Amino acid sequence: MSDAAAPDPFGVGLPLDTEVSRPRPGTVLLEVDGEIDTATAPRLQAGLDEAMDAAHAEGSHVVVDLTGVTFLASSGLAVLIGGARRVTALGGRLRLVAASRSVTRPLQVTGADALFDTFDDVASALSAEASRPSDAEASRPSDAEAGRSRAADARGAGASGSRPSHAAAPPPGVAPPIGGVGR
Amino acid sequence: MSDAESLDGMSTVEVRTSATAALIPTIRAVASDLAARADFDLDAISDLRMAVDEACATLVDAADPTSVLQCRFLVRPERIRVHAEVESAKPDTVLSTDTFGWRVLQTLADDVEVLHQAAAEGRRATVGIRLDKSAGDVPR
Repeated sequence: MSDAAAPDPFGVGLPLDTEVSRPRPGTVLLEVDGEIDTATAPRLQAGLDEAMDAAHAEGSHVVVDLTGVTFLASSGLAVLIGGARRVTALGGRLRLVAASRSVTRPLQVTGADALFDTFDDVASALSAEASRPSDAEASRPSDAEAGRSRAADARGAGASGSRPSHAAAPPPGVAPPIGGVGR
Repeated sequence: MSDAESLDGMSTVEVRTSATAALIPTIRAVASDLAARADFDLDAISDLRMAVDEACATLVDAADPTSVLQCRFLVRPERIRVHAEVESAKPDTVLSTDTFGWRVLQTLADDVEVLHQAAAEGRRATVGIRLDKSAGDVPR
């Protein structure tokens, strides 16, 4: 784990907390608070892995509560996208709770929002029926698939990629390589 | 940055930190502050903050651990230019632009460029990233 190795000039530890809980039967909730960047993304990954392993064992859905997240970097996006793929491979959808611009803007501008079911609050996420698409996803049914196939094509090309308009489809090449961020 | 750029009457802010990920949040905060004061719209502020974080994280990753991360903001009406630079870990360090992070950076910024400078007499090799971000899509 990189926590011990990373220098901490302020002596306060990493500014990210994660907590796994079971608010009701059939749901594993991962609550995330703080900043998700290069230094803290490993902690998010560990929390998400714990939540997903538990959900897989119990046959539950995972909800990731990002309402307390004040910053989301590409390293954090990569963790979330990896989680979405893991859940989708098992036939489900990863649910996110996100209402602040710090989280919704990165998801939207990269097109990654098509990979999740996103809710404004935890209550909505918990009460949603299994596999029901969010309002946003309902209007873009095939974009997640299209985004993944374009991403696979563009992945090795180092395509320059012009800045996308805020259209429905995810921009090509933004989804991360299967193996990780690869910085 | 050329003399002509720095003398056109606009503001320049420079931040220098140890090249460590733990200090990047401070540079992000400067980027947010400058964009907000330049009347960027909220999405553009978020994008610039994330782009500056991405650039700094990429450079810290490639930096010599004893290096300084130098980040210069040139604030103009409607646009901020950021130039970040570190001394590279090795003389032949090359920044990869075939990464998820780089593609996110291209999405966030209006324009982005990698800069490599070879070592010279009394100066180590450096790698840098220059990016531009406009204030927003809404005409003013």
